[in-house]
Amino acid sequence: MNRRQRPVTTVLASIGALLALVVVLFPLYAVIIASFQTSDQLIGARFNFWPATPTLDNYRNVIDVQGGHIASTLLIAGGTALLTLAISLPAAHLLAHYRFRVTAIIIGGLLVAQILPSIVIANSLFLLYHHLDLLDTYPGLILADASYAVPFAILVVRAFMLGLPKDVLQAAKVDGAGEWRTFTRIVLPMSRSAIITVAVFAFLNGWGDFIFALTLLPGSSGMAPITLSIYNYFGQFEQNLGAAMALAVMGMLPAAMLLIAAQRYIAAGLTLGSVKG
Amino acid sequence: MTRSAAPPAENAGATRPVRASSKTPSSRVARLRQWSRLVFLVPAGLFVLFAFALPVAYNLLLSFQQTSPATISTLFAPFAGLANYDLVLSNSTTQSVIVRTFLFTAGSLLFQFLIGFALALLFSLRFPLRRLARSLVIIPWLLPLLITGLTFQYLLQLEAGAVNQILQFLGIIDEPIGFLLTPNWAFVSILVANIWIGIPFFTVLLFSALQDVPVELREAAMIDGANAWQRLTRVTIPIVRPVIEVAFVLGFVFTVKVFDLVIGLTQGGPANTTQILATWAYNLSFQQYDYGAGAALNTVLLIIALLAAPIYIWLNRQWLRGGQS
Repeated sequence: MNRRQRPVTTVLASIGALLALVVVLFPLYAVIIASFQTSDQLIGARFNFWPATPTLDNYRNVIDVQGGHIASTLLIAGGTALLTLAISLPAAHLLAHYRFRVTAIIIGGLLVAQILPSIVIANSLFLLYHHLDLLDTYPGLILADASYAVPFAILVVRAFMLGLPKDVLQAAKVDGAGEWRTFTRIVLPMSRSAIITVAVFAFLNGWGDFIFALTLLPGSSGMAPITLSIYNYFGQFEQNLGAAMALAVMGMLPAAMLLIAAQRYIAAGLTLGSVKG
Repeated sequence: MTRSAAPPAENAGATRPVRASSKTPSSRVARLRQWSRLVFLVPAGLFVLFAFALPVAYNLLLSFQQTSPATISTLFAPFAGLANYDLVLSNSTTQSVIVRTFLFTAGSLLFQFLIGFALALLFSLRFPLRRLARSLVIIPWLLPLLITGLTFQYLLQLEAGAVNQILQFLGIIDEPIGFLLTPNWAFVSILVANIWIGIPFFTVLLFSALQDVPVELREAAMIDGANAWQRLTRVTIPIVRPVIEVAFVLGFVFTVKVFDLVIGLTQGGPANTTQILATWAYNLSFQQYDYGAGAALNTVLLIIALLAAPIYIWLNRQWLRGGQS
């Protein structure tokens, strides 16, 4: 904002930013440090700011016992991202490039859908799934997890597609390309950045989901994602705190990795007004 | 609409603009095409019906039913009138849950805004590694909310808790505080944790808004003798005000339905003193197996959340229309 800045302002700003980052990142640091300590050390009389005897036992233990759950979480998150894209992209294309009398109603409906609390959906789906035999199944859980991201994905991708140059689409039509061809060969490649944004968010939503896993996997089967595993570990605080911390670090990894790999897409998603939870 | 090339002969009928009367074959083809395009909307339409409309409708139905653990085997339990609403709303725990949810939401939004705005202003200044700092600050927002809740539970322990130890080291307290053991401190704990999660959202939104404030305006105010506070309140805030409004509406929408964080941090305890609407509805349905009562409370939560809907739609009004023809 300022063209010129006094040196003292720079120093103060650096100190302020450093303090803010310490507060923001301390919980992460604490979890990472904890993951290299034994459960006994963690529930001792003191908080250790540095592991006295760093150990990888928690990670060995977690990979042994939780390997299946980690794979399961990847499957759920990947499935959520793919399903979200499959549902949202064609709808976004149609709503961006054709005008219907009901467009405003559809967009308004999607905005309302974004607002609906997940617990309302979970409560009903639990009873409905009971009758549809979808409890304790991947398709059932992935369908529910996609509810986090589908309205957001349609709204964001459509908003992006509205900005695509009309001439190019028109030219494709003139050249005789059908709707599907125009969509897959021209619209999708041109919308790549918006698609990456919503795919990243859908993946993170599926990866971090807890409420649907808690309610729709009542059999606590091998399908349970790691959020549920960490929660159960915390239930037996004394024995498993170290393992819980190692698993928590793994649970945080995709967010951190995606932040590094797709940072500008994530910032874009945030500013486009995504709703979480 | 420029047409540089003539359409290939075999597709001439289909791509011609629809101007002829509806009786000509070419317009019938165009019409058919128009309808066939709706296939693109079918998956999304089915999904919205299945994942949003059906659960909301079934929740309403359920809230008027006399449910019990046994009625889970039938979709339609006996009609109960308003009995569930009566029971739930006259319950003193529910009443304090509703008040607490409002306090939790208002407190979260206020502090998320104040701290987020302060950080956005800070990040607008120049200092080394500011880009890195800006991206690191987003992290809390991306982590699974349950893991954040459990992390805070770990940090707020009585004996080996980092927070107690740091506060004691700084001489702010003499004895460790039972953050998660006493009702008032437990409420402060879920509030602080939720503020921590929401700060990045406010920071990122407000930071990008601040970049759009013209430097000339602030410099003009400076030349006119406005001090820093006046420049902030008279120039900057009025310009970023629309973004502040968006942030508050979105913040409301996702604070009012917080679930994972509270389950991870306190599970609603001690003695239900940190239950908020979503966790209490879960408790009624899945721990007391009173699905009707849970559904009735869900309806209350739904109505409160939907209070934001008209404002949310109005803020997004630019997207309602549009679409090329």
